[in-house]
Amino acid sequence: MERVLGIETSCDETAAAVVAADLSIESSVVESSIDQHRDFGGVVPELAGRAHVATIRPVVERALAEAGLDPRRPALTGIAVTAGPGLVGSLLVGLSFAKALALAWDLPYVGVNHLEGHLFAPQLETPPLEWPLVTLLVSGGHSMIVYQRGPGEHEVLGETLDDAAGEAYDKVARWLGLGYPGGPVIDRLAREGSPASLALPRGMLGEGLDLSFSGLKTAVVRATEGRDDLPLADVAAAFQAALAEQLLRKLRAALERRDARSVALAGGVAANSALRQGVAALAGELGITAHLPALAMCTDNAAMIAAAGLYRLAHSGASPLGLAARPNWDLREVA
Amino acid sequence: MIALAIETATPACALALEVDGRVTEEILDLERHHTEVLVPGLARLLGAAGVAPGAIERIVVDRGPGLYTGLRVGIATALGLALATGADLVAVTSLEVLAAAAARAGARGELVVLVDGRRGEVFAQRFALEPVAALDAPRVLPPAALAPELAARPARLCGDGARRYRDALVGAEVIDLAVPPPSAALELSRGRDPVAALTPLYLREADAVANFTTRTRAT
Ligand SMILES: [Zn+2]
Repeated sequence: MERVLGIETSCDETAAAVVAADLSIESSVVESSIDQHRDFGGVVPELAGRAHVATIRPVVERALAEAGLDPRRPALTGIAVTAGPGLVGSLLVGLSFAKALALAWDLPYVGVNHLEGHLFAPQLETPPLEWPLVTLLVSGGHSMIVYQRGPGEHEVLGETLDDAAGEAYDKVARWLGLGYPGGPVIDRLAREGSPASLALPRGMLGEGLDLSFSGLKTAVVRATEGRDDLPLADVAAAFQAALAEQLLRKLRAALERRDARSVALAGGVAANSALRQGVAALAGELGITAHLPALAMCTDNAAMIAAAGLYRLAHSGASPLGLAARPNWDLREVA
Repeated sequence: MIALAIETATPACALALEVDGRVTEEILDLERHHTEVLVPGLARLLGAAGVAPGAIERIVVDRGPGLYTGLRVGIATALGLALATGADLVAVTSLEVLAAAAARAGARGELVVLVDGRRGEVFAQRFALEPVAALDAPRVLPPAALAPELAARPARLCGDGARRYRDALVGAEVIDLAVPPPSAALELSRGRDPVAALTPLYLREADAVANFTTRTRAT
């Protein structure tokens, strides 16, 4: 059977996984360097690059061992590695490691687009997807709404014009002195607060499907500057409600315009409780299926890269060993 | 014995392959295309020698100091090869490889090796050449800061840092040797024990500047 080793090093996670052609996950290992970045309020590229060099070999070794594969002669049919988008000094660690394995094992390898990887993640987790599908992909680096007629066939309907959703969470958390990363702590606080306590703009509520979060972030700053009397829980609840409402309105518009039979969440912000509840409710109202993968499949991992790689190896073919990292690789250029 | 040396510590990317005592060396590129040229170049070199990648027994890697992206490409490639083939990993530094190459070319006396560290600095180390032995520890400093030391204790210079900052270091003789030759790395590594982990020699902390915007609290 076909079986692909996936490798992911585009940001602060060093990850490796083995996935079979039926999309069963035989192993999935993720090591994060996030603790090293916490004090800086965001991922520090040079620290991330150094961490990948230190962890790439043990992570891949563990993924092979947990899948019962011998590193000298693994029963693999290919290798998939994230080639972009991401931090260049991080991408080239996984890419170089994967090329060396491809040469030594005499196997085809393919450079995978990280965002396409995220789009494949729901297929690994939830019941079989029903196509066509609309995916809301929201993470610390990206925010977009993507229409898919089938696996690997994607059309970007809208994307953020400024910050990513996760970035907005991080910036607001930083401003409020809540630490990094901002998503989990704001989500937790928001459950104890009242969203109506602060009037915040919803932003970009016009016709298009593009997103924007920088205005919301600025509004939070204006509304809270010098206001120690405002409970943090209320600020968190108001911010989270405004952000989720914008995402859900755009998602609803996308679903109403296109003939989707299901809707999926992807990316680290897909762990957000308000967003999960909102997408489930929206799907129920529209009579379509909601696919809400577990957190481990939403955040960066290599199983999703292996899954996208299985598709790309079959439909686009292997990459040349001379492939360069593509730090700004647009999902629209994937074919 | 089949041994490979990988050189990526400067903008150049180079390989040397030793098969039963015969060494083939090739500079693949001079302009920072490590990611693109290293593995294809290795495939070509192995093919020309009729050696299967799995037959490599020993991989000698320049762990720096030098260009951070280059070092990461070279080390990640070596780590992948070692995992897949079971080959031993042996580490050398860019500074000692250049010193060994200068001695091999006939230089005598004392040598200060300067590898371009960018941001107006060089990675530097002083060597005796008969035989090659380090006289101090590798350090990072602005080239002009070396001038008093060189005036008090003359030495020849080599490395891409010496070439770049020739004007700041007037009076010292610069040996025209910028790329650490991987064939010299192979010679230098003979008898050296394999390493369990391969870490780049950065010689600098990572640039990590907190850029906080936090709420101004009313007092
Ligand atoms: Zn991601």
